[in-house]
Amino acid sequence: MTRKQKKRLSDALLSLLALCLGLAIIFPVLYGILGAFKSEAEFAAYPPTLFPQSFGYTENFETVWRQVPVLRFFFNSFVVALLGTGVRLVFAILAAYAFVFFEFKGKRFLFFLILGTMMLPADTLLITNYQTVAQLGLMDSYLGMAITSFVGASQMFMLRQNFKSAPLALKEAAHLDGCGDLHFMLSILLPISKPVLVTLFVQGFVTMWNAYLWPLLVTNQNDMRTIQVGITMLTTLEDTNYHVVLAGVAISLIPAFILFFFLRRNITRAMAAGALVG
Amino acid sequence: MHIRAAAQGNPRRKPLRQRLKPYLFLLPILLFAIGFVYYPFFKTFLYSFSRVNFKGEITGFVGLENFRYLFSRRDFGIALKNTLQLTLLNVPITLAITIFLALLATNRRRGSAIYETMFTLPMAVSMSAAALIFKVLLNPTVGYINHLFQLNIGWYEDRNTALYGILMLTVWMGIGFDFLLFLSAFRSVPRHLMEAALIDGAGAGNRFLRIQLPLISPTILYVACTNMVLAMMTSGPIIILTQGGPSRATTTLIYMMYSSGYSSSNYSLAACVSLITFALTLLFTIGAFTLEGKKVHYQ
Repeated sequence: MTRKQKKRLSDALLSLLALCLGLAIIFPVLYGILGAFKSEAEFAAYPPTLFPQSFGYTENFETVWRQVPVLRFFFNSFVVALLGTGVRLVFAILAAYAFVFFEFKGKRFLFFLILGTMMLPADTLLITNYQTVAQLGLMDSYLGMAITSFVGASQMFMLRQNFKSAPLALKEAAHLDGCGDLHFMLSILLPISKPVLVTLFVQGFVTMWNAYLWPLLVTNQNDMRTIQVGITMLTTLEDTNYHVVLAGVAISLIPAFILFFFLRRNITRAMAAGALVG
Repeated sequence: MHIRAAAQGNPRRKPLRQRLKPYLFLLPILLFAIGFVYYPFFKTFLYSFSRVNFKGEITGFVGLENFRYLFSRRDFGIALKNTLQLTLLNVPITLAITIFLALLATNRRRGSAIYETMFTLPMAVSMSAAALIFKVLLNPTVGYINHLFQLNIGWYEDRNTALYGILMLTVWMGIGFDFLLFLSAFRSVPRHLMEAALIDGAGAGNRFLRIQLPLISPTILYVACTNMVLAMMTSGPIIILTQGGPSRATTTLIYMMYSSGYSSSNYSLAACVSLITFALTLLFTIGAFTLEGKKVHYQ
């Protein structure tokens, strides 16, 4: 065997191994989606099967549709993720701008005060934040679900790095033209920072879309649940409606999967870039 | 003369509006940083040393009494043990799996786009969806895993295996993202270094240990730290899957905080658990970064 043939063979074997491992990794997802098309009887049958008898069996989806307001859940998730990510980004932009373009007393202290928030994991503050939100009367509101994510220290940090690389001459020129700070920011600085803004937005949106614990804590009304909380409400105490639960899960995965397959390269790059400042 | 002296004393004196401007830009983020990060932390701190009624009002100072009570409770020891066990298993297992997958995918081959997508797919699945799928998959009777491997394991229904069921879920959820980080780390290892080593006759194992591993060590540190923090905070899957059971086998610290604070309104107890979780996480992070000074190699 020549060296080239050897290389080709080993490449093929490695590809095969990788594909097998890949199948093992996506197996739970496949299993969940396939299960959504099974009837209760199919689930109860022994031995358990992998494939449903027919993909035409859609009764589970209809049951989910009847039992919970699916579209409303999606809408709630969308509003909360948009509100949380949007406000966080605006606050981070303003702060980063101040740290890059202004000199003022207490600059270092305030900078570390904001960065210090990254040291305190949000999960350890859940109960006290829950009290605050309840006292403010924000239970069962979009604002209440989004409010704890308005502080984005890592976003601020990343934007600061980015703004710093913008040529200072730009700002001086803008200033001489009588261009105010907000005008300079909106018409020059932000447009040239578009890549990093998109990255931060996508990353924040995905994280908030997937959030579970906080939205669970601050909502009591069925109508205000996000999709992630909503699908867990399909489970019953007797645990016998797996087919319905999996149909709910399959529906909940649709938007994320559409995003994942169409924007995979962008999203994965965005997540990875965001992580490096984490 | 007088005017000049004043001007010299404050050579950069700007109008008030100008001087206030930076603070106005910082006001929103500071307001929320204080209101939803520092204030709750301070309050948690106060609560842990106070008697707190069910409305969340402080009714007296009790010193270390709350901590003493917490340490005397059997479920705290169990929660601490479960959390540490989850963390100590999650971090190395996740590192091993994702480094292996990234190594496998570093060189692009035919079909690499397909398996790269497969490896990253768990990223697109939310925690609650993943938890519900695992609930069915690991069901002892109708689930597929027991059937596939001819096992007779109770998983989430058995106190001896429930924690491992949670571990499987949390490891699986982390695969996509960590794989991606390692993939880009391996791909940024300079090609000429690897080729030079190959010419010098270094085997794959040697090249991995001597070249790749040192060069990706910052990523290892990052992934280990983020996974450690996430594992220390494990609570969502437990709320969905086991409610801490069976017989407390899956009670973690944050789950205990959640159930004592949110469900039982025992705020001082919840505050103590929260502070201890925070302190442990901080300690581990400091530990990791001390190690960083010795072992991590930056290019």
